[in-house]
Amino acid sequence: MSFSKKIVLLGHFSVGKTSLLRRFIDDQFSEEYIVTIGVQVKKKVVTVKHKEKQDISVSFIIWDIEGNKSVKSTRKSYLLGTHGFIYVFDVNNDLTYKNTLEEIDYLKSTYPNVLVKVVGNKIDLVNAKNIENELALLKIPVDILTSAKTGENIDFLFKKLAEEFVNG
Amino acid sequence: MNQEEKLNKLKDILLMEQRAQALLVQKQIADLEKSINVKKNFSKRVDPIIDEKLQEFVINMPKTIGPTITSSIKEEIRNSQDDVVDALFPIIGKMIKKYIQSEFQKLKENINNQVNKKFSIKGFKRNIKSKFTGVNQTDLILSDSRDYQVEQIFMIEKNSGILKACFSRGEKGYVDKEMVSGMLTAIKSFIEDAFQKSNQALELIEYDLYKIHIINFKLFYFATVVSGVLDTKSKDNLEDKLYQLRIDMLKDNKEIDLKKLNKKINQIFQHEFF
Repeated sequence: MSFSKKIVLLGHFSVGKTSLLRRFIDDQFSEEYIVTIGVQVKKKVVTVKHKEKQDISVSFIIWDIEGNKSVKSTRKSYLLGTHGFIYVFDVNNDLTYKNTLEEIDYLKSTYPNVLVKVVGNKIDLVNAKNIENELALLKIPVDILTSAKTGENIDFLFKKLAEEFVNG
Repeated sequence: MNQEEKLNKLKDILLMEQRAQALLVQKQIADLEKSINVKKNFSKRVDPIIDEKLQEFVINMPKTIGPTITSSIKEEIRNSQDDVVDALFPIIGKMIKKYIQSEFQKLKENINNQVNKKFSIKGFKRNIKSKFTGVNQTDLILSDSRDYQVEQIFMIEKNSGILKACFSRGEKGYVDKEMVSGMLTAIKSFIEDAFQKSNQALELIEYDLYKIHIINFKLFYFATVVSGVLDTKSKDNLEDKLYQLRIDMLKDNKEIDLKKLNKKINQIFQHEFF
């Protein structure tokens, strides 16, 4: 059995959305920063086990859209029909995560039935323990910390997402 | 030993070293002359250096003189457009002429075939149609001669861009169809958003010899890739088929059976030339 899900990557400019996607799809990384203009669509199939033990393939159709200071200023038509949002911020740049709480509240109230995952990227640049404490202090609702550079937790993020789609 | 002989002997003793050096220098000069004046020897020494420099020049040429050449060519073309047209016309003209000749040949063969089938059922029908509609047979044959083909059909969920069903004639495209559906939806969303005309939807994308016709429904849209010329009549025919498909889907069930739908689309379009 298989099904397709539309995932949209959200977040500020240069938080590593495209790098995260590139690591997940092609297992590659580049230090060079190229700004995303408009949108690029990629696909990858992840197979997970259903509660009743059979394998289910989730085809992720991932929309990597241009970065925005606020989710509110993202082109609305890109967000329609989305099954899951991945909100990415840069753990090394507090400007990209200080409004996370409001951004997530906005997403959850505007798209109530859509799964939202909050991802702190570029974990390779900081001390993981320190940043976890800081995010906890600021009450930033982070689901997972990743590094597109080292690949840490990237596959795990999408596997977790697939499992939630399959098993609820 | 007289005085002179003694002096010479003394000279020999004193100048022995200098003479040896002078002889050495003389030999070196002779060798040098030989290596310069004899072409073979000279090129043996100089060629590797020239080759190396030449290679360096070739590598650095795009950086060093490339921009100058490009701007000079651009300026030259700008300043002498008529000359450029004169120079290119025979080449491009020939190509166009050849292409038109070949297309006319195909058209001629097509019309000949149709005329040869004058006594066939199709010819008989055309004859009657011509008499009733007043359109002469040549025009009817010409309109029959233009062919177009449905290459691909995508049925895509409107908001998410998720592919629901598709038809492809042969092995089409290197890009994953689900990604194509996503990108098509992104382009469509962008255009519809950017121009913000209420209730307006993108209906046609043209690229080279292909057209993508988009037929919008409430929850999904059909994107049909067509090659060749699609006139109004054929477009209506195509739209009718897709509307009928939609009606059949609604009749069958509110929930779309994707396997059944895929099969149906393939059945309709596999052997269809519009």
